[in-house]
Amino acid sequence: MAKQFMKGCEAVAEAAVLGGCRFFAGYPITPQNEIPEYMSSRLPEAGGIFIQGESEVASVNMVYGAASTGTRAMTSSSSPGISLKTEGISYLSGAKLPALIVNVSRGGPGLGSIQPAQSDYLQSTKALGHGGHRLLVFAPYTLQEAVDIAYDAFEYAERDRSPVMILMDGCLGSIMEMVDLPPMKELSNQNTQGWKVGYDGVKRGARMITSIYPEAGLESNNKNSAAMYKKWQEEDVKVEEFMLDDAEYVVVAYGIAARVAKQAIMQLRGQGCKIGLIRPITLYPFPKKSFEKLNYNNIKAFIDIEMTIPAQMYDDIDLLVRGRAPIFEYGRSGGILLDDDGVTDAIKKVTGGQA
Amino acid sequence: MMEKIYSRPNCIVPMQSGYCPGCLHSTATKIIAEVIDELGQGHNVINVLPVGCSSMGLLYWKIDMVGSAHGRAPAVATGIKRSRPDSLVFTYQGDGDLAAIGLAEILSAANRGEKFTVIFANNSTYGMTGGQMAPTTLIGQKSTTSKKGRDAETAGHPIKMCELIKELAAPVFVARYTLNNPQNIRKAKQGIKKAFQYQLDGKGFSFVELLTNCPTNWGVEPLDSLKYMEENTMKYFEQKVFKDEEESK
Amino acid sequence: MKYTLIIAGSGGQGVMSIGITFAQSAAEGGKHASFMPTYGPEQRGGSAKCTVIISDEEIISPLPKKSKVLIAMNEQSYKKFIPELEEGGLLIINSSRVTSQISRADIKLISIPADDIALDIGDARISNIILIGALLGFTDILQPDVFLSSIEKKFAKKSPEIIKINKAALDEGVKICNALK
Repeated sequence: MAKQFMKGCEAVAEAAVLGGCRFFAGYPITPQNEIPEYMSSRLPEAGGIFIQGESEVASVNMVYGAASTGTRAMTSSSSPGISLKTEGISYLSGAKLPALIVNVSRGGPGLGSIQPAQSDYLQSTKALGHGGHRLLVFAPYTLQEAVDIAYDAFEYAERDRSPVMILMDGCLGSIMEMVDLPPMKELSNQNTQGWKVGYDGVKRGARMITSIYPEAGLESNNKNSAAMYKKWQEEDVKVEEFMLDDAEYVVVAYGIAARVAKQAIMQLRGQGCKIGLIRPITLYPFPKKSFEKLNYNNIKAFIDIEMTIPAQMYDDIDLLVRGRAPIFEYGRSGGILLDDDGVTDAIKKVTGGQA
Repeated sequence: MMEKIYSRPNCIVPMQSGYCPGCLHSTATKIIAEVIDELGQGHNVINVLPVGCSSMGLLYWKIDMVGSAHGRAPAVATGIKRSRPDSLVFTYQGDGDLAAIGLAEILSAANRGEKFTVIFANNSTYGMTGGQMAPTTLIGQKSTTSKKGRDAETAGHPIKMCELIKELAAPVFVARYTLNNPQNIRKAKQGIKKAFQYQLDGKGFSFVELLTNCPTNWGVEPLDSLKYMEENTMKYFEQKVFKDEEESK
Repeated sequence: MKYTLIIAGSGGQGVMSIGITFAQSAAEGGKHASFMPTYGPEQRGGSAKCTVIISDEEIISPLPKKSKVLIAMNEQSYKKFIPELEEGGLLIINSSRVTSQISRADIKLISIPADDIALDIGDARISNIILIGALLGFTDILQPDVFLSSIEKKFAKKSPEIIKINKAALDEGVKICNALK
């Protein structure tokens, strides 16, 4: 392991390269520019390809092409750019191609603001393009967690033949912290031999990678996807449950919001408040079990804290809480960041019965 | 003993074509397959399919193929060729795909000098969706979205892709052919072969436009569609080699 | 020990670069450290601000509302960020550019004409180092030697003259503040 003080965008890019990424295509948009900038010099060093595409649309389709040859391929963008990429993401899912997509999100809707925001929960978890497909969506909250997830992202993607998303907001993209970088992965155990296109020295039958299917084929493919999403729910949920045992108040927060919330929780615990945190690390699949096993006789309220307005995780929480406790929400948006005091005060309003 | 002088190309699936009667996509599909065979590249070729009638090749070619989103074939081919520089990579795109929704992708790939080949089938219509006006529909030519014929005042003029692409510095071969008769089909085949050979030699971007027809959506008999091509399409879209790296040396 | 620190000034004063070097130096010196450039709607108009946290414990939230230290390199950033300095906090101003009367009585103030001293030493660009030197001289955040070795590493490929001048700036800042203690 090599310790290095790194910026979020660069750390996640480096971890992807160490995890086997050998192709990157992207387009400039703030606040994720450090990813393509880093890749433009790092990938050629590692024997990979960097292309600055003419658009987000083209870039994600370049990734689609590279992925079809079994190359570990990645793109990144920020919110408006991810909207453009959703066409390609839907095609990646439809054609069953592994890839890594990183969203360093900013304020929305529309052009929104270039400042950090957690404005893309709904897009990431419900509709990364048309057709009702899903992605494994990871939301790290420290750079080390981002590094660990990016390092293993291609294994998930190749296991499932499905693209993977890492959602990190502009704060995580621009923060600098110390990270432990793992060693470069060997690419010999890649799980792509059975389907990738391109001649490898052994003559074989023709192969086709496409997202268009005859009717019966499309339905059977969709059924397989449905089964896969169920399996994700059983096997791939990642969540941090913090101080929940005796909790009367449960904060739900992910990414940067969870860091601010956790600090507030530790402070409030010091003042005798029984409060804990559910921090989804996979936003999809959502950590349902963490909600199912709570003792609702104990719980007075949930507080959904996100750096966006209105809160976007609210509906997912609501479906699991099913009226057993009130759910409050607190957020900031439009380039105004969450901060320790603001979050602590918002929680105190709930615990003090003033919310 | 009789000598075998003609057979189905190896990389064509032995089945009846589903293209409409008289459609020159069939001809294009066949000559591309013949060139692949003649160059001995059946095992090494990767085709990128677009959206539209030209995507029907997925049924007929027996080669590695990757289906792309509408207009994005040159971006997909970029990803493939950069990852697999030794593969023979080509896109086969129609005019709506290439010259309307995919204009950014084709011009950018050409401008970067991506080392693959684009074969552009121009039949002046959106065939698969039912005959809407295409960027290449001729002035006065009727379509389901230009019922009185294309009006330059509101729809502009038919776009000439070869003429646009030849102005870029990077492309090494840019040519337009027509498939209206056997002689011209042979010329077109030679053009495709040259483009593929340039690619195999590691040269840059090559672009081959093929003027084709659409009897169904033009609403004419197949033979009349050829006559229409000769009297209209071929007069507007000049057939020639616009750029050839070797000849300009 | 936990310090939250805002460094602010105008673009070109080396706000971001000194913030990064400082945080990196602390991290490499074994502390927990984070650096965050902060952009808010109030940030437009050529001003630069970063938040550095240095701590013995793991840093949970990188988004404090208030900071223990504010280094204000110009008038505008002083005015903007003085409300973010906590009660009892430390304000270090570049008095060559901050001309306001300092109104808060609940804070400690160190006023250093850093631009003027920098010019005396021979390079206008090293005001930021002088101010960090002042901070290191006045507090126990980080040993000046640790920071100096980071500077030496950063400029290892440049001329020895640059390292020398940065060292002089750091020493000057430390010296001024040692005298204040």
